Formats: sequence, C-alpha cells, structure tokens
Amino acid sequence: MPSPKRIGKLDFGLLSPKDVRKMSVCKVIWPDTYDDDGFPYTKGLMDPSLGVIDPGLRCKTCGQKSGDCPGHFGHIDLAKPVIHVGYTRLIRKLLRVTCRACGRLLLEPQEIDKFSALGDDPFSADVVSEKDIKKERVCPHCTEQQLKVNFEKPTTFMEAWTEDGRKTEHKLTPADIRARLERIPDEDLKILGIDASVARPEWTILTVLSVPPVTMRPSIILENGQRSEDDLTHKLVDIIRINQRFKENQDAGAPQLIIEDLWELLQYHVTTYMDNEVAGCPPARHRSGRPLKTLSQRLKGKDGRFRGSLSGKRVNFSARTVISPDPNLSVSELGIPLAIANEMSVPIRVTRENIEELRSMILVGPERPTLRDPCGANYAIRPDNRRLRLHGGSGLLDNREMVAAMIEPGWTVDRQLRDGDIVLFNRQPSLHRMSIMSHRIKLMDDRTFRLNPAVCPPYNADFDGDEMNMHVPQTEEARAEASLLASVQENILSPRFGGPIIGGIHDHISGIFLLTHELRWFTKPEVLYLLKHANIEFLPKPGKIEDGIPYWSNKQVFSMILPRGLNMVYRATSCTNCPECKKELCERDAYVRIIDGDHISGTIDKKSVGAFEGAIMNRIIRTHGLKRAREYIDDMTKLSIRSIMFIGFTFGIDDEDLSRTEYGQIRDLLDEAELDVEKRIRIYKNGQLEPMPGRTAEETLEMQIMQVLGKARDRTGDIAGSHLGLGNSAVVMAVSGARGSMLNLTQMAGCIGQQSVRGERIVRGYEGRTLPHFKKYDQGAGAHGFIRNSYKSGISPTEFFFHAIGGREGLVDTAVRTSQSGYLQRRLINALQDLKVAYDGTVRTTGGRIIQFKYGEDGTDPTKSAFGDPVDVKGIVESVLKEEV
Amino acid sequence: MVHLIERSVLSQAYFSKDHVARHQFESYNNFLEYNLQTVVDEQRVIETDIEHRGKNNEAVWVELGKIRVEKPIVREADGSQSELYPTEARLRNLNYAAPMILEMTLCQGEERYDPIETTIGQLPVMIGSKACNLHGLSDDERVERGEDRLDSGGYFIVNGTERVLMSLEDLASNKIMTEYTERYNEQIHVSKVFSQYRGYRALVVVEKNKKNLLDVSFPSVAGHLRFADLMRSLGLETDSDVVMAVSHDEDILTYMMQNLEAAECSSVEEGVMYVGKKLAPNQTKEYQKKRAEFVLDNYLLPHLNYLISPSVKEGDDGYEEMLINVRLAKAHFLGRMAEACFHLALKKRKTDDKDHYSNKRLKLAGDLMEDLFRISLNRLTRDVKYQLERASMRHRDLSIQTAVRADVLTERLLHPLATGNWVGGRTGVSQLLDRVDHMSVISHLRRVISPLSRSQPHFEARDLHPTQWGRICPSETPEGPNCGLVKNFAQLVEVSKGVHDEEEIKNVLFSIGVEPIGGELR
Repeated sequence: MPSPKRIGKLDFGLLSPKDVRKMSVCKVIWPDTYDDDGFPYTKGLMDPSLGVIDPGLRCKTCGQKSGDCPGHFGHIDLAKPVIHVGYTRLIRKLLRVTCRACGRLLLEPQEIDKFSALGDDPFSADVVSEKDIKKERVCPHCTEQQLKVNFEKPTTFMEAWTEDGRKTEHKLTPADIRARLERIPDEDLKILGIDASVARPEWTILTVLSVPPVTMRPSIILENGQRSEDDLTHKLVDIIRINQRFKENQDAGAPQLIIEDLWELLQYHVTTYMDNEVAGCPPARHRSGRPLKTLSQRLKGKDGRFRGSLSGKRVNFSARTVISPDPNLSVSELGIPLAIANEMSVPIRVTRENIEELRSMILVGPERPTLRDPCGANYAIRPDNRRLRLHGGSGLLDNREMVAAMIEPGWTVDRQLRDGDIVLFNRQPSLHRMSIMSHRIKLMDDRTFRLNPAVCPPYNADFDGDEMNMHVPQTEEARAEASLLASVQENILSPRFGGPIIGGIHDHISGIFLLTHELRWFTKPEVLYLLKHANIEFLPKPGKIEDGIPYWSNKQVFSMILPRGLNMVYRATSCTNCPECKKELCERDAYVRIIDGDHISGTIDKKSVGAFEGAIMNRIIRTHGLKRAREYIDDMTKLSIRSIMFIGFTFGIDDEDLSRTEYGQIRDLLDEAELDVEKRIRIYKNGQLEPMPGRTAEETLEMQIMQVLGKARDRTGDIAGSHLGLGNSAVVMAVSGARGSMLNLTQMAGCIGQQSVRGERIVRGYEGRTLPHFKKYDQGAGAHGFIRNSYKSGISPTEFFFHAIGGREGLVDTAVRTSQSGYLQRRLINALQDLKVAYDGTVRTTGGRIIQFKYGEDGTDPTKSAFGDPVDVKGIVESVLKEEV
Repeated sequence: MVHLIERSVLSQAYFSKDHVARHQFESYNNFLEYNLQTVVDEQRVIETDIEHRGKNNEAVWVELGKIRVEKPIVREADGSQSELYPTEARLRNLNYAAPMILEMTLCQGEERYDPIETTIGQLPVMIGSKACNLHGLSDDERVERGEDRLDSGGYFIVNGTERVLMSLEDLASNKIMTEYTERYNEQIHVSKVFSQYRGYRALVVVEKNKKNLLDVSFPSVAGHLRFADLMRSLGLETDSDVVMAVSHDEDILTYMMQNLEAAECSSVEEGVMYVGKKLAPNQTKEYQKKRAEFVLDNYLLPHLNYLISPSVKEGDDGYEEMLINVRLAKAHFLGRMAEACFHLALKKRKTDDKDHYSNKRLKLAGDLMEDLFRISLNRLTRDVKYQLERASMRHRDLSIQTAVRADVLTERLLHPLATGNWVGGRTGVSQLLDRVDHMSVISHLRRVISPLSRSQPHFEARDLHPTQWGRICPSETPEGPNCGLVKNFAQLVEVSKGVHDEEEIKNVLFSIGVEPIGGELR
C-alpha cells in the first residue's frame, strides 16, 4: 500500500485545452465502441488505453488489472468551440463587464486602480460585480461603443442594439465569445475575483472535450449477451458523430446555414452531456424515452455522488431487526438473536497465546447451534489478506479441520459474536448523540433485539414494530471508543438539558410509586421476592418485629438499592404545591427525604426515577459516578417491576364508573355551563357584551364560551377525581406521572369537553351552522363541538363527528411536523457539523474562524451542568444540611 | 322511529355488495350510454387535406356516426374469438376489454359513400358494468364462471392486473368563487371561475383593485383587460346595459360609475378593437379584430359555449346571431362575477369556503374514461387523416377499414390504465387493487384523492369539514403526508351524476319565475 500523503493545498480552476490534451492518453475519433467480435475499436470510445473494465485484461496505458487501473482520460477535438453550460452565468457577466473590442474592464482606469489596490486579500475576492458597471456606454480605454448582451437559456448569447429606432439583435457564436474572452487581460480578471493562472475565462468555451475513462462509464452485458452502454457513452457517441459530420461539412465548404445548424446541434449534445436538466433545453432521451443520466445528474441530489456515495455509504457488520422489551436485562445490555450473532464477526489476531482458543472456534465453524455453545468463526484471513470462508456441516465443503491446522500467529480469525461483546445500537432518526449508544450483547432465542425499556427514551423507541440497527466495531480502537464514549452508562446524562435521559418509564414509575407510597410492611419472603433481581447482598435490620416476626418497611426496601451517603430533600410529582407545606406530615406523602441513603419519607415517583427528571439518578451520578448510577437504574427498574407484580395493577372499563350522585352532579354542572353559555350569547346578541381590550365583541364571546366550557369540563374531572382515589389505577398513573393525566381521566369518566381546530371552536361548515342537525346561527355549546358525554358514557353522532374533526387536526399536525423537523435538523447539522472547540477554549470553524470565544459563552459542558446551571448550589447546600432550603 | 325489522331491510339495501362500488358502476355506465357518443359527436367529422382527387378537386372528409360497445372478447393467436370472463383475463394476463364499433361515412364533395361499421379499438370494461359479461348474472352463475360471489367489481383488468380508478376530488368548475388576495400590500377582492368545457379548463378572474376598478384576466391575454371595455366588446352597447348586467344595487352603481369613467370605448366595435390591441399589438386592424373575436369566443368563459348548438355550422344562417347571443351570455356572466366581487367588498357576501363540499366535484371512473377517450379519439382521427392522405398520395382507393388502425386507440386507452399516468400529466389515477383482504378492497374502491400537493401543509384542506358528514368517512384517512388529502366515501354516500335533459330543468326554473336574459333565450 502506498504511504498516506498529506494534502497541502487545493486549487480550483478550469481545465485548459492544454491540460486536457496533456492528461489525455488517446484522441477519440470513432463513435463506435465494440466491433462485431466484441473487441473495442482503437481510437473509439472504448479504446483499451482508456482503462480496463473486463476482468483478466490489462490496461494498455498502465499495465494494471481491472480494479487496480483507475482509468485514463482521452479527448475529442471539437470542430468548433462550444460553450460549457456550467459557466453561462460567468460568461454572461464577463461579456457584460468587458469591452467588446479591447477586452478591458468597463471601468475608468482610476477606478480599476482603486479596486486592484484591495489586492491580494483572498476574502475580498469578487469585489467588482455586474452592478458596478454601467450598461451600454463607451469603453474608457478604446472608446468603442458597447452593445447590450442578451442571454437566452440555455446557451445563446446575443448582442442587441437600436438602429434607426428598430431593435436589432445578432447572435454571438461561441467562437466570437471565446475571442472576446481571450482579450481580457489577467489584471482585469483579478479584480473580478478570477485567478487567471488557473482559470482563463476562454477555457469556459470548450475547444477540446475530455473523455472520461471507461471505468466511470462501464458497459454491462445483459443476460441475453447484449452489451448495454452507459448513458455517458451514449452521449459521447452522439457528440463524436455530430462532430465528425460537422468536420466533414466544414471541409466540404457547406453553406453557412448548415454549419450553424450543426454547430447548434453539437452545442446541444455537449450541453446535455454536462447537464441533462438545463432549463430551456429538452432533455436528451434514451431510446426507451427515459432521460439520460449525464454528468451533472450523477453528482446532484440525494442519491448523487456527494450525498449518496460520499457523505453516506452502506456498511458491513450491521444488523437490523424488530425490537422488543426485556426488563430483566441491564440497561447497558442488548439481547441479540443467535442468527445475527452467527452472521456478525469480530476479527481476532492469532497469537501464540490464543491460537488454541481460536483453533477451537474454527472447529466450531460458522454454524453455532444453540446459545450455550461456544462461539464459532466465519472466516480465517491469511497473512497475505486472502480470506478463507469457513464451511460447516458434513458436506464436501467442510474445511474446518484443514483451516484449524493451517492457522499460526500472523493470521486473523473472524470470530462470531458472544456474550459481552460490545456493539453500537442505533435508531433512526438519529437526532442526538444518544441515538447511537454501545451495549454489551447477550445472546438470546427468537429473532428480535431485546432491550431494557428504560433505554427507550434516548432512542425514542417503542415496541409497536420499531426496528433498530446494530453495528459491530471491528478494531480495538473502535471498541475502546464505543465503550468509553458511547456506552449507555456514559450517556445517562443528556447534553440537552444536563439531566438524566435514562430512567424509569410507565410501569417502573407506577411500580415504585405503589411500593413506596405511605408506609407498609413486608415479611422476609416478601422482601426477598421484591429484591430478587436487584443486586443486594444482605438485608438490613428489620424495621419492626411483631410477634417475633421481623418486618421491613417499604421505604427500607427502597433504601436497599440506594448508595450510602446519599442526602436529598425534595417534593415528588404528586405534590400539589399547597400554600403551606406540611413536610413529612404531607397527606399525599409527597415530601421526599433521603438521609445517608435511607429513604425516610415521601413517595418515589416520576420526579425521583423517571427519565428526563430522575432527581435520585442525577444526584447519584454527581456523588457516586456513572457506574453506580447505572447499577442503581438496573436495581430500580427490577425492584419496581417486581413491586408492580407483587401488588398487582389492572385497569378495566368499570374503573371509569362513577356513582349515581356524581353523574347527577356532572349533569347539573354541564347543564349549568350550557345555560351560562346561552346567557352570554344573549348578552352578546343584545349588544351588551363588553369587548375585552384588543378584541372584538365576537372574539370576546368566543373566549368566554371556551373558558366557561373548559372550566366546566375541569370541574367534572374534579368530581370524577374525588370519587376515584388511589385505588384506581388510572389515578395512580396520573398522580405518579407514569402515563396519562387527570385530563385523560376526566375525559373517560366525566366529560370530553370542547373540540377545537387551531385553538377555536368548530366554526366551519354549512352556512350559519356547523351541521344541519342544528338551527342556523345557533352559537350554543353543542352546535360548535362541545362534547358533554364521556368516553365511558358514549358519544352522540354529532359529537362523534366533532371529535373526528378535532382528532384530524392532531393527525395532520404530527404528519406535517415530522417532515419539517427532519429538514430543520438537516439544515442545522449542515451548518454546525464542522465546528469544534479548540485547545484555547474557543469554538472555531475548520478554517479557524472564531464562532464563540468560550464554548456556550460560559464554557460549561451541559452534561456536567445541573439542568443547565454551571453549579447546583441548592443541591449542594441541601445535601450538606440534609434539610430543605 | 323506524321499526327494527324495517331497519334491517334498510341496512341490507345500503350495506350490500352492490352498494360498495355503485358509484363506479353508475359513472362508467353513464359514460357507456351517453358520454361516449357525446365525445364522438364533438368530433363529428374527420377532415382531410386531400386535394387533386376526383374531378373537381373536391374535399374529402369522414363523418362519424353512432358508436357502440360490444361485450369483452378474447382473440386467440389463431384468430378465433370467444367471450372473455374476468377470471380468464386475470389468469391469462389479458385485457378485459370490449371492441368499440363506430359508424363512419366517407364523403367526397357531394358524394356520400355507404356508412361502414369498423372496430376502432378496445375499450377497457369495468367488471360488473353494463358492458361486462357478468352483467345480469346471478351469484351462482358468476361462481360458475370463476368469480367470487362476494366480489364487488368496479375495477378494470389490464394485462391481468386489477386496476382501480381513483375518484378525484376537485374544485367545482363553472362556479363563481370569491376571495381576498393581497398585492403590493393592497387588499384586492377577487372572483374566480374555473370555466370548463369539453376537457378544456380556463381560469377567468375578475378583480377589484384599490381604486374600485375592475380588471378581468383569462388565458391568452397577457395582463388584464378593463372590465367595462370588455363588456362593451361582448356586445353591451350602452352604459346602462353594462350597469344592468352587473346590479341594480345603489352602492354598486357608484362603483360602476367609476368603472365607466375609466372606460375608453363607447361602442361594441371600439371594445373589440381594444381587446384586439391587447392581444395582438402592432398588427393590422383586420387581424386584430379577427383575433379578438376568436379569443372572446374560445378562451373567455368557454363553458358558455355550450349555447352554440352543434347543428349550426359556420357560415349557416343564424350562426352569427348565435355567436352574438353567446357573447351576451358571457357578458352577463361577467356581470355576475363583478357583482360577486362588489358584494364581497361591501361585506354582503363572504369569501367562499373552498373546502365546503358543495364546492367540490368528483371525477369518477366514467369521467376519467371520458377524458381519456376524448384525447385518444382525437389521436385516432389524426391517424385516420394521415392514413387517408397517404393512401391518396399513393393513388390507392380510399378505404376506411384500412385507414382505421384499432391498435392506436387501444394502446392509448390501455397504457394510462396500466400505469396510472393519465392524460394531463396526472399520476396515480389508476392503482393496483389492494387485495390484502376484503375490507381493503372495499376501502380501495371507495377511495377519493385530492389533487393538492402532499408536500405542502394545506392545513385547511386536510381538516375534516362538517359538510363531509354523510359523504366522506370522518375516521378513515391515512396517517402521514397524505393525511386528510386521501379520503374514503362514507357508507351512505350517493354520488349524483347530473341530468341529460336540460330543457326540463329550464322549464322548472322558468315555471317558478326565473326570467331569461339576453343570450340564454334559447
């Protein structure tokens, strides 16, 4: 392999005809590719000196085989110059700013001096723009009268002038243009931001066309043995054919008209060869009517060379399948199916020390039968990099023993995955860095990836059919980076808000809430049941002993998974922010106090263990480090799942039932609200409604109605809530913050409430009314989308329809939002991807320009911050004082 | 209250399999029975440029007569023909299509040859429609012929694949709609009409600017025309005629005064010349006049051209008079548009809700086939003309049979159906029938798609509009980019298909006191 070289500098310029000829190995003159025997014509488009594509042949120019030979350029001598479409705007500009006779810039000499004084600063390039030069005047250098230059897409330039009151135009041929561009002196070009040493403007008019090597336009052989040429080859054939004809006609002295036609045809072919999607030019088509994919189309767009082949590539050593939950795994583990583990591999170098182990792997071969078997190997790689595929079974191909005998230090063996290997795991869209994290694998039966539900939030995954990707790092460095930088443990804290993004979700929260709420006692078997999967080594002293039976409190059970030395005082999610806090005596048990790792009071819920909030996780990370935090998360999730299983948790249709009195109350309340609405409408109709500042009377009325009905709905919720206590699972979920809210409960048991579209009641529909079921101009609650029923009681047809209207808005919103946020993300990434924090603490672009003098203007790493603040003063004080401040 | 048993009868009637694709059948059958012939009648003759033939260099043309569609058949390689049933078409990857037979008469000068019936091509036949071989068969008979007794039909079979034509939802044409727009920070009141006639669609806009002056724009006119002068050119001689065509309302009278003051023409001829000058500046007067009249007759509000009766040809008696009447009708229509515009400005009218279902029209299978057939027949006539001319050049006998190449039409009908690329560049019109399960088939046959772009938000168009009650299912719409743009018919939807006897409607209208105006007298 050649040694790597460092690129010192890049110059962007135009290919001069001289350059084209210099790099050409062959002058192409025949429009044919292969003769009847299948051999390429010399001096044809497939000339063997242009490179090889057929395996087995050697390149005539460099002598290398197909695959090694990069290909070599050829050239076509054009009969007459043609314009390069990519530079038409530049040509237009140059024609407009320079003299048609002497080629100087149309600026007074002193102005030229002024601009050239700006000189060598590379950033001041392109100082003279078209606007700086006045149109149609006399050249200050040679007093030539200037004409207006009109440009017509795609490649036509005209000079226009007025002659005895009539506008006349005449076409500029590419040769004329080239002659004019040649006259522009180098110094004048510099003022225009063009470096004449690499880009003389006349080189934008092609006199010789470079023919790309065959390697970039290989012909393919179809099943029926027919050769099918690449689109570029087709286009080049057209160019050569017309060029030949042009030359012949020229030599024969054909009339001007024919010459012009041919010239235009040649221009068309060269144009579409460069870009087949130019405006004002019918695209060149294949025989089947499909537009040809020419040079520009290869580069452009999502599947083009840049976005499709260079920025994004397909990879090996990756797997994808459906994900499903397994709460018994650690958050840092990942269950992978055996089929995937057998296919994926890790290269291991053979040394004296491991040769026996690897030999045994080779003997297992590529077909590891069950999870418990030792891992096998898929390939053995010889020191000369030849891969030997291992074959198992008992067939003729079985080469396991032979290869096992062959290996010696210096070989490499592709070992299959086994428990504990590190892999990267990813879910698209990869919106933040936690979308790719490394896990340790655990082989499992069945065909899905298994992950702990606590790592769903960073991936934003759920199990309704989501699929995820896995990548196996192939080098020691990659594995080291994966485990040190990308592991789940390292990513518990989100740089987005400086808090833990991994934590309990759904049942974890319900479970821990049920366990720790108020005080209850467990016997030893019960405690052991709860903590079975948690990593606990001994039981503390029992909290109380009654009748000789030891009991442990629920808070003691939870304390067992907490590290010693943890001091916290805060209020749980279930806190209602009473005006005066009763602290430990809170009847909701929402005042959490943890002293030296002992849970004294309060209920553990979302605030303590939930993803995005997780106060306890956050504190453990700060005081005990990430590893302990991960262990805590593992223990906590397992404890909570055991708790919810022990206590039991169900929800059914009758959990939404209220008693007759509540239904009566709700009915009265809604009747009252509707009457209130009627009353307000009457006031409005009588013209007595006092409009609110900045609103019309009508808007005021609408707002009042929304308010009245909203309040009524909330009050039905209160009525329902007062009937349903913590014995109701929905209430438990809402209070603990596990899922849903009291609003959901209100809608199920009380009243669904007002349906709205873009924040307003439903107003569209027929003339004067939403639906024909109502009287015209009825502004009442029911006619504009108020649903007084609950999901339990069932809704009327009109209510159903209004509900569908409201629901549709949500659907449309999500659909529109996802596409917009994806595009926003792309733009942000494109704008920020090259920024980095330099050693001096500044944020700089690759060019060294400073964006920020200090990262984030406070130099704080958001992951190390306390929810955004550099120092968590309150937390420190509280943990020292063990009291709320 | 409907009794329980009666209700079950009702629901049987509504939810039976015949109801599933009924809109498809009705539309397609309507196309077979009326519109196919209408399209042929629109074409009526194929004129040729044949000269130097016969004695007096008489012109040669072909007159088109009655068209009829037979039953689907299959033609085997050996030339034999047999009745084709859908199952066979599916299994053998055939087209389920029936020959169309058109009566054609070759004419030369005064001489009319005998009418000849020729097969002009194969028309794809909707399963279960009147042209289908299954039509009128009982369930058992269908089963005998390999059909599922629960299959609802309503789709086509092209190359053995089942293709459904989507119902397209579009803004109603020939209906005046008002809206506000903003230009250079000026609020402008606009009334618009998508005037549609025989597949040609033209947008005519009347707008009132800040100075209360009305401008009219329509295709082939660059920029816009002054309303008053345009009205004049359409034959409203006096100021009072122009005003009366708009409104009697006092507020509007003041607006009209301003418009008349800004007008430059005071007679019909001047008006026509004003239009001509706009259309063809720097041309001769005669050409301008000709061009102006042509544009007024063809591009302005083309839907009113239905008033031109097809029996009267150019040069006949009464043709000129008829044209004048049509122009008057157009003037009155423009007057209505202007009135709508003023009413909007005076707040006597609100902007039209484009998502209101009364402002929507559905293009069903029959309408789509009609569009397709119109273009295809046009192609066929051109081909016939070319073939005849070629035959004439080579001094062969002119024969219709050899001049009509049936494949031309067949290919043009089948290809869009097979790919979904309809005439007019619309894609996804025909789709492969979703046979995942029975429900998906029912849903697919009743799908309605909106031509709005899915990449733009179009929040309002995606909303469920209360007027969709009973017509469009409130619940069934895809999630994602097509949300709210792809809809499905409600269970009880009835798609009305218009009337063929317009006279009857007119009589009803007149009987309740509607008075005819100028152009619409006949």
